Amino acid sequence: MTFRARLLLGFGAVVLVPLTVFGLRIRAVMADRLTAEYQQRVSALVRVIRADLDQRSGGIALRLAALRDAIAQDNRFRSAVLQGGERTYLLDYAGDAMRLAGLSLLQIQDETGRIVSSGHFRNEYDQSDPALPRLLAAAPAGTALVEARGAEAPFLALARVDSLRLGPGGRRFTLVGGIAVDSTFLARLTPDSELSVAVRLPPDTASGTDPATQVVNAVAVPFVTAGDSARLVPARIVVSHSLASLVALRRGVAVSFFVAVLVTGLIALLLASWLSTRISRPLTALAAKTADVDMDRLDVAFDSDRSDEIGALSHLLAAMTERLRAGAARLREAERRLAMGDLARQVNHDIKNGLIPIRNVFRHLGQAAGESPDRLAAAFRDRQATVESSISYLENLASNYARLYPQPARESCDVNAVVRETISRVSNTGQAELRLELADGLAPARTDALVLRRILDNLIGNAVDSLAARAGRITVSTGVNREGGVRITVADTGTGMTKEELNRAFDDFYTTKPGGTGLGLSIVRRLVLDANGALRVETEPGTGSTFIVELPGEGA
Amino acid sequence: MIPQHRSVILVGLVAAACRAGAPRAELPLAPPAPAPGDTTCTIAVGRATVRDTVRLAVTDPIELKHAPLPRNDGERLVFGQLYESLIRVDCQGRALPGLAAAWEQAPEDRWAFTLRENARFWDGAPVTPRDVLASWRSRDATLAASLTVTGDRSFTIPASAAPFQRLADQALAVTKPAPGGGWPIGTGRYWMTSGDPASPDVLVMQPMARTGQPVVKVAAMPASAARDALDGEAGVLMTDDPAALEYARTLSGYVDVPLEWNRTYVLLAPGRDKPVLGDLRLESLREAVHGDARPAEWSGPGRFWFTDLQACGIPAERDTLGTAGRRRRIVYNQSDRSTADLAARLVGLGALDRGAVAGGVPATAFESSLRAGSDAAYVVQVRRRVYDVCRAALELPPWISGATIEPLLDIRSHAVVRRGLPRMTLDWDGTLRLAPP
Repeated sequence: MTFRARLLLGFGAVVLVPLTVFGLRIRAVMADRLTAEYQQRVSALVRVIRADLDQRSGGIALRLAALRDAIAQDNRFRSAVLQGGERTYLLDYAGDAMRLAGLSLLQIQDETGRIVSSGHFRNEYDQSDPALPRLLAAAPAGTALVEARGAEAPFLALARVDSLRLGPGGRRFTLVGGIAVDSTFLARLTPDSELSVAVRLPPDTASGTDPATQVVNAVAVPFVTAGDSARLVPARIVVSHSLASLVALRRGVAVSFFVAVLVTGLIALLLASWLSTRISRPLTALAAKTADVDMDRLDVAFDSDRSDEIGALSHLLAAMTERLRAGAARLREAERRLAMGDLARQVNHDIKNGLIPIRNVFRHLGQAAGESPDRLAAAFRDRQATVESSISYLENLASNYARLYPQPARESCDVNAVVRETISRVSNTGQAELRLELADGLAPARTDALVLRRILDNLIGNAVDSLAARAGRITVSTGVNREGGVRITVADTGTGMTKEELNRAFDDFYTTKPGGTGLGLSIVRRLVLDANGALRVETEPGTGSTFIVELPGEGA
Repeated sequence: MIPQHRSVILVGLVAAACRAGAPRAELPLAPPAPAPGDTTCTIAVGRATVRDTVRLAVTDPIELKHAPLPRNDGERLVFGQLYESLIRVDCQGRALPGLAAAWEQAPEDRWAFTLRENARFWDGAPVTPRDVLASWRSRDATLAASLTVTGDRSFTIPASAAPFQRLADQALAVTKPAPGGGWPIGTGRYWMTSGDPASPDVLVMQPMARTGQPVVKVAAMPASAARDALDGEAGVLMTDDPAALEYARTLSGYVDVPLEWNRTYVLLAPGRDKPVLGDLRLESLREAVHGDARPAEWSGPGRFWFTDLQACGIPAERDTLGTAGRRRRIVYNQSDRSTADLAARLVGLGALDRGAVAGGVPATAFESSLRAGSDAAYVVQVRRRVYDVCRAALELPPWISGATIEPLLDIRSHAVVRRGLPRMTLDWDGTLRLAPP
């Protein structure tokens, strides 16, 4: 997992987890408090309904008492029910009385339960309904809900019963009066739209509400069922408070929470990305610079003006590179001194080898001049060839040493052209296949074309030699390196080198070839370094070697 | 001057005479007009005094769109003054000249009619047989097609085209359209003016000829305001409101004249598969309504005209809805209080089983529902007297031949007539007309 991914996950966990916990907690607390408040409101309304029912029941009782007194004083009514006259007056009586008394239900029955006058349903006269007053009288507090029969439709009413006696025999008449329990009645009990009041009649007295969406409470009220098998059963006035506002509030909180999470997550993402970029970019740059460091490339700068850990790391790397540079210089100096020592010993040896015959000739000539001067000329003629041979040897030796110190020119050089020209001069490659892979549009290098040709001559010659007359492949390729310079690669599939061979490959006079001078790679190395370039070798015994020459570009 | 008690006796005689001679579905060709001085069908309460204006009050709505065919007692009173048919049939069933001055039997079993010589529309145009033809064409195309014009004032129709008495039907009154959609132009003794701007709710009818007839002003009012009309000195109050009638009886200046039992309330139930009323005690129905009612009875020969329509060739429709497909309610026209009372009483008695309800609907919706027969039962007002049974049958719902019909009550209106009012005549169909002086 990358550093950036870890940083993002960390930010997400740090920001989102507390936010989520906070949001869920807010929702839970809010729901609990609102539900408790709704329950209090519902309970309060239930108390109000109970008080209202009591008050209304008392009002009905007062109005029935007033009607009872009025009927007792009404001679036309008395005549109608006792003498059988004034039939129309009797039938219309309950309707007029009901409207005057402000009732919705009024029924006057005789002692047999026969309806003698009905206000809410005038034309139900002479029908029998003795159970209604009997059950109302038996109801607790004398009040009950009844399903009153109407011409157009039955309706629900809160009713009471009263009675009076008329005539010499004391005929008993009952008055059933009540008020309609309709939508208006229920709406008057409902203070706002979130509270609702409904009447549940048997057999369906269940609240019919979902506790998940409503807060419910109920008032039990006796109910007189309709029909021939009328009886007193419990009904319920159900008060419910909708949780719709709570649901809406929770939904709003959820939406707000979601938006907050989204915005916070986005900010965290951007912040984490910015931070990770700010942190990882210098590390990546340091890594890239560090990758460039090797013994031939110790000029990598790790400069930084940062004062944080990355700045400290840069300073450490810079100091390390500086130490490497010093060590490499010391190493090169030691190598140079060693090489010089070797060269001096070699020169000493070679010169001694050249001087010994000359010294022997001069000793011989001296001996001849001392012992027999007349034979000096003959002795000189005898030994002249030896002296000349030694002098020639020394001259050749001097020429060879002189080649160790070329003086290259710094000029624009078309590398691809030099490669092609060099390859064209390679006449004998044996069974080796020579392949060119030249980059198109390669920028010129800043070096001496003659030096480059000598470098290529040596490297290609070594490659051919490494194949040891076996079949193989030599690939010469060009390209651009990371600094904008030119990279030349000479790869072969030859014998390759061991680690020990590689460690000495660039030493003067070190060779593994019969008849080799041991100066080829040494010269190549010096030429490349003199051209401000770099030389690397990648080799594997039995697989082959790749020599990589990097030269500065023209703009360097 | 006729003593008051004699006037009351006269009114009673009129009512008794009309009840005795009325209920006949078809009338024979009537004898010539009653002899002059025959007051059998005349209502006269006290000695008539000359008046410039007579005020009529009715408790039914009067609608222009119904003219000239009345739909209630109020419209019958008003339209009777405005429109004329060829003949009239008096309360005794005698044919009297109307727009036609004379008629006789013509060859080929046809009736030949001669229009009144001075017959004119309200706009002054003379009435011709072609006007009769044009007027009938829109109401009875078959009858109109059988009419043959024989002269400027004469025409014939086949005797088989319609019962003779039907020519007295207001549906065949001769009218022509008024410009601008106003009241149809008729030929009666009165014409309808544009009214009195000071009293826009009052209809004002002017006499066609200056023959001493008074101007007639008609006020339509709800039943609850009927007593106000009596206190406002209305000449005639046509109502069935019991409170107004009771109040009128306390006023010495008025006489309560019961009119003919001209409408019967019936219970119509689509289908005959189940008895609608069963063994309910219908004798208590009379107390259910507030008007002057009696148990439905047919005192003439035969039965109610609407109980046997086989002769009219009305096919018995198949009952596609069935009992289960109908709403269990007794439907009535909510503008008719008597139908509401009867429907409520039937529900109170347990018609259609317990749980059925009464349902009042507006007049137009009632007509639609009645045509469709989509409810279990209907309380309907039906005319007791019709000139042409088969024509009247067309006013009943199309499923009538397969329906259960239970006559419930007969109901009548009353005319509360002010003493000293000009005479009025009563026709067989209950139309009251102000008689010429």
